[in-house]
Amino acid sequence: MTVASKVKQTLAQLRGAQSTLKLYSAASRDEEAKTAFIDAASVTGEVIADLEDRLRTIESQEPQYKGK
Amino acid sequence: MQDWMEILIRSAALFFIVFVLIRLIGKRHPSKVTPFYYVVYTVMSLIAALISVNIIQNVVFGLLALGTWAVFALLLDYLALKSKAVHDLVNGKETVLIKQGKIMEENLKRARMTGEELLRELRRKNIFNLSDVEFALLETTGEINAMLKSDKVPVTPRHLERKVAPQSEPQTVIADGNILDQPLANIGLNRRWVLTELEKAGVALENVFLGQVDSYGDLYLDLFDDAVQLPQARVKDLLYAALEKSQADLTAFSLETENEQAKAMYQRNADRLKAVLENVRPYLLR
Repeated sequence: MTVASKVKQTLAQLRGAQSTLKLYSAASRDEEAKTAFIDAASVTGEVIADLEDRLRTIESQEPQYKGK
Repeated sequence: MQDWMEILIRSAALFFIVFVLIRLIGKRHPSKVTPFYYVVYTVMSLIAALISVNIIQNVVFGLLALGTWAVFALLLDYLALKSKAVHDLVNGKETVLIKQGKIMEENLKRARMTGEELLRELRRKNIFNLSDVEFALLETTGEINAMLKSDKVPVTPRHLERKVAPQSEPQTVIADGNILDQPLANIGLNRRWVLTELEKAGVALENVFLGQVDSYGDLYLDLFDDAVQLPQARVKDLLYAALEKSQADLTAFSLETENEQAKAMYQRNADRLKAVLENVRPYLLR
């Protein structure tokens, strides 16, 4: 597996986790839990953004793996 | 009037009179009242029974006696609410039986209890070792309540210095195949939400015996047909696992890459995810 496809896998996993976190933040009745889920979702979002940046760099460096 | 008719009428009338009187006097459970109120209850029930079976032949006298007892009971109740002195007089005071782990023999004697009786009452509270008790009290109702020594108290999350998610009461939203609107409204959900959740689980509403929503919005279902295996809500565990896996991946990337800048970025994000994991752990893993 190339580095790019590994990063993509992690990205997909993180996106899934983020959407579940958002779901829980909307469904929780407890304020503390709500805040914890919202915070977690936003941090996960930042991590996702960083990874996307890195993925773009990798793909521009090794265009032969692009899109895999 | 024939005898049986008289008894019938007396009994029926008394049934309702006693019902009203008991309602007026209060909700206390007979086994939880002080000896004084126990006597009041007994006398009232006796008078009622005697009127009912025509042993007290004069109904007016009978009701007068019943009423007097009821009124005095209510009056004392009211005064006890208003004045601490009356309260202590009526209810008595608690007696300390064990203090700082030592039995107060004087108080025990005054309460006319033997050592065995004390031990028996403690065992009833699941305390078998006298040495575990720091403090014990004889309540005015005759019940004994004990406080354990601090190293014998059952462990709570606080002792483990672990944070646990606050959880409010679950709401029962489906009973016997019917959606209950009131509890649903209490948690701000509607019928459509229930139907969507049921569709997700692949279950018909008629097949659901009970359905409960916890404070995180997860629906737990119990079906009439116990042969059907339901995918129970494992979403939280899966979510935690996914976050944990991503965190491990990021750490691996940071070790694999040779680009210094990328290394730092991966490591930083791995640390962030670690913090996230710590934060949501109490809510996801319970």
